[in-house]
Amino acid sequence: MVHSQAAENPSAQPFPTARPAGCPFDPPAPFARARAECPITPLRYPDGHIGQLVTGLETARSVLADTRFSSLPAGKRSPVKVPGSELSTDALPAGMFVNMDPPEHTRYRRLLSKHFTIRRVRELRPRIQELTDRLLDEMASASGPVDLVQAFAKPLPTLVTSELLGLPEADRAEFGRHVDVLFSLSTTGEEMQQSMAILGGMLHALIAAARKDAGPDILGRLTVETDLTDEELLGITIVLLIAGLETTTNMLALGTYALLRHSEQLAALRADWSLMDDAVEELLRYLSVVQIGPIRVAAEDFEFEGRSIRAGQVVTVSLPAANRDPLGFEDPDTFDIRRGPSRHMAFGNGPHQCMGHHLARLELAIGYESLLRRFPRLELAVPPQEIGTREMMVTYGVLELPVRW
Amino acid sequence: MTRIEIEMDLCCGAGACVLAAPAVFDQNDDDGTVILLDATPPADQREAAQEAAARCPTSAIRVV
Ligand code: HEM
Ligand code: SF4
Repeated sequence: MVHSQAAENPSAQPFPTARPAGCPFDPPAPFARARAECPITPLRYPDGHIGQLVTGLETARSVLADTRFSSLPAGKRSPVKVPGSELSTDALPAGMFVNMDPPEHTRYRRLLSKHFTIRRVRELRPRIQELTDRLLDEMASASGPVDLVQAFAKPLPTLVTSELLGLPEADRAEFGRHVDVLFSLSTTGEEMQQSMAILGGMLHALIAAARKDAGPDILGRLTVETDLTDEELLGITIVLLIAGLETTTNMLALGTYALLRHSEQLAALRADWSLMDDAVEELLRYLSVVQIGPIRVAAEDFEFEGRSIRAGQVVTVSLPAANRDPLGFEDPDTFDIRRGPSRHMAFGNGPHQCMGHHLARLELAIGYESLLRRFPRLELAVPPQEIGTREMMVTYGVLELPVRW
Repeated sequence: MTRIEIEMDLCCGAGACVLAAPAVFDQNDDDGTVILLDATPPADQREAAQEAAARCPTSAIRVV
């Protein structure tokens, strides 16, 4: 059977972003209704384009593994207007492999993957622990309530990434400020372009320094071991920043919030720290912070799961919806750190599956455990209804998380 | 007997296989791609190898 996706398709719904009242961890309710109907349904984009929305786990996996659903930027649109989504992609530097298809994409992955293997990431453990402890020392020296986002969730991934890139300590504060602008809710397109330019300048200087005197960090290694141009190195660095910072920050803060709101789960974790790795997996699944996309564009006309897909159609995968699919998980809406191994899709699937997933898992495990051990009585400093969330952003999370101990 | 086939062109070096079946797969230090440690693993590794195949984001692993 061929479903119609003509532009006049009246059944196409807009992409929902509102979280259910009183339940900040659950995906917008319309996703479950769409999934119950069909794992892939028509979706109306803000400019009237009619594409597809994927809410079923197995269909989401198939779409992301199928490169006929292209990652090239041409024709790509966001299903909601988010800060920065109106920026032109024409001016982007070379080397932004998130926007490429194999085999170009493969070339970059192969050059970079060696820095993110499980072995390399495990070597980073002591350093990440040290950076974590330093932040927690600072936090502990405050007396009153502290916003966990600013005190911990934001700086930790920024510091780890700065280390990876070899950014000198002296530049980290300024670097962090501009990265902040890129990810801020209130940023205008203009401010974003400005901060991009400043960051671009800093990164160019960093690349030039690495060319003169290559350190053991990723940029240093890439200048010595590959023939990547400065433009490409810039693009790669920007990808690492965009992909690695906001995601990890929001997982750290929203994950802590979820644990504080599920006291029996938190108690179980505190009683048995060997549950930590499972807890990280369940938090990744349950929270699925990448909430808008991955987005793909059909590169050709083809049949997909009984549906005719037309070249140029934009397909948006909802990872929060896929990760709550009852066909993939028992009691999908229950947060249960003892769920055991689950094949969640928080890191996507296919050739673009998160390159930093080993690193992200390690940062989260060290981050949550160190925080909870340091503050055995950690609690929210405000009533839950005062905690605002990031509904209109690519990455979901809390705006602030005031805590005390 | 369990036999494992890899389609190297597909491998994106995500390393999900190494997590699922460390006795069967390793990751190349040069480009992150999969290294097949044991193409005909013992029966007790079959389940882990199948889990690795299922977790591989690009379906580069086949267990036959
Ligand atoms: C908990 C934290 C994280 C989550 C939930 C997450 C999630 C994701 C998702 C869903 C994708 C797929 C995008 C797509 O298919 O278009 C992705 C891609 C990517 N992630 Fe992550 N990520 C996290 C942390 C990190 C970290 C720490 C790094 C490294 C510094 C990183 C580096 C990347 C890169 C480079 C890509 C692009 C891969 C490609 O296009 O081939 N991520 N991530
Ligand atoms: S899981 Fe698949 S893509 Fe990842 S390293 Fe193993 S074989 Fe390669």
